[in-house]
Amino acid sequence: MNTLKLLSAFLKVNIQMSLAYRTDTVVNILLNIMWLGWELLSLGIIFSNTETIGGWGFGELIALLGVFRLIHTLMIALIWPNTEKFNQSIRDGSMDYTLLQPINSMFLVTFSRITVWRIWDLVLAAVLIVVGLNMAGDIVTPLNLLSFLLLTVSGGVVIYSLWIVLIALTFWFTKFDNNVTILQALLDAGRYPVTVYPVWLRIIVTFIIPIAVATTIPLQALRGDLNLSRVLIFLVVGIVSFLIASQVWKAGLKRYSGASS
Amino acid sequence: MLKIFQRLWQVNWAEQWQYRANLIMYLLYWLVSPVIYLSVWTSIANSKGSVNGLTANDFITYYLTLLIVDQITSNIVIHTFAYKVQDGSLSGELIRPIHPMLTNALVNNIAFKALTIMGFIPVWIVLFFLFKPDFSNVSLIGILLSIPAMIIGFFVGFLLTAAITSLAFWTTRVYSIHEFYYALMVLFSGQFVPLTLMPKIIQDIAQYLPYQLQIYFPIQLILGKLSSAQIIQGYAMGMIWLVIGLVIFNWVWRNGVKRYSAVGA
Repeated sequence: MNTLKLLSAFLKVNIQMSLAYRTDTVVNILLNIMWLGWELLSLGIIFSNTETIGGWGFGELIALLGVFRLIHTLMIALIWPNTEKFNQSIRDGSMDYTLLQPINSMFLVTFSRITVWRIWDLVLAAVLIVVGLNMAGDIVTPLNLLSFLLLTVSGGVVIYSLWIVLIALTFWFTKFDNNVTILQALLDAGRYPVTVYPVWLRIIVTFIIPIAVATTIPLQALRGDLNLSRVLIFLVVGIVSFLIASQVWKAGLKRYSGASS
Repeated sequence: MLKIFQRLWQVNWAEQWQYRANLIMYLLYWLVSPVIYLSVWTSIANSKGSVNGLTANDFITYYLTLLIVDQITSNIVIHTFAYKVQDGSLSGELIRPIHPMLTNALVNNIAFKALTIMGFIPVWIVLFFLFKPDFSNVSLIGILLSIPAMIIGFFVGFLLTAAITSLAFWTTRVYSIHEFYYALMVLFSGQFVPLTLMPKIIQDIAQYLPYQLQIYFPIQLILGKLSSAQIIQGYAMGMIWLVIGLVIFNWVWRNGVKRYSAVGA
């Protein structure tokens, strides 16, 4: 309950902050639309030369683009702004005040900044998924839809957990302020089904920086490519990675000694 | 003059060397999308035999060459300069008898490049063995022809982004303007796909724009895919854009600095 109240307070503060920069918000939305146009055009160029890539059709790739944008939004609306603030707070010692608050520090560090206008990206993503699936003509059973939704959430949790681990590393290596770049760099691999990648890249984006777990795999569930036991495994992976991440965070906090000492 | 450059080089090299850990991240960042495009297009070419006459090997050599060319012709001036205008740290540089952009920022960029190229060589060799390209089309003459083309490409790109960066004298939204410029680069440079696979209209426009000078033109030179008429046209476009770049940059810079001193006073 407390958490929800806090979250809505964060949202309010962040809305106020973004209202101070209205023109920037408009400019950003325009740029966002421009990139969407480019993404659709690039898919169009690919599919003017072929009917399928990695066994997936045009509609399915549009739906994948939608799922990709969900994770992209997580990255850009939550991960980037909070990481920036976190790195700053490690450098100047203002992390001390965060730790003094009577709230779970992990929650506080990861949710206090939200780039609010990016939320419209989620709507866009949903539209892309629905339109894409319609174009592909796939029949979606309620069970597949349910496993898609669960796996999308679980994939998001996996990425979130990886993020926690990466920023927690800053407690050990103070100079590591490039902590999320690796995530951002590999994120683009989520635009296409991992089946098109060479094996080594597929291994990296499935097991090491598991972008695919949040993009290709939920969509595979939606298409009915995954059997029930696979779906359950990926759900467990989501839960386990979150548990590991919070342990790493706790261990990291013990290492924290403030900026001046 | 030479001494000034030598000093600037030492300072900028030392400055960049501090950030060598960031370098690994930068390399990764810059590596991923060409490798993704390479994978997508080779997978299509393999399943269909060829795409519009391009085989899987054509795509592999294209993107592996792109990595080199992009490394040489790109610049980071928006990231290393715009904030100086915004936080006022440019003032100190303006009173020195050297040009902040055409000397200091330029040398800084080249030092950054020299460092990244050092890190880049082993990475490229690994990619070479992973993708096993057949570079038998590449001739010495193509490589020699591409070197001046890449230098022109770098300076055209540098002058144009320097001009955009200098818009920071007027607006704080300079990063958004640069993002728009970059989107055009993605569309017209051949970064996503060899331009011959782009819609006809984009190809027609692209040959008159500066973007392909930084990516597509040098790549095609190295891979030996251009006729002599196309080579002459490419170089001519390069010279024209070099002049345009110089004029635009000078104009924006001169007026911008005037404004800057007005604001600072």
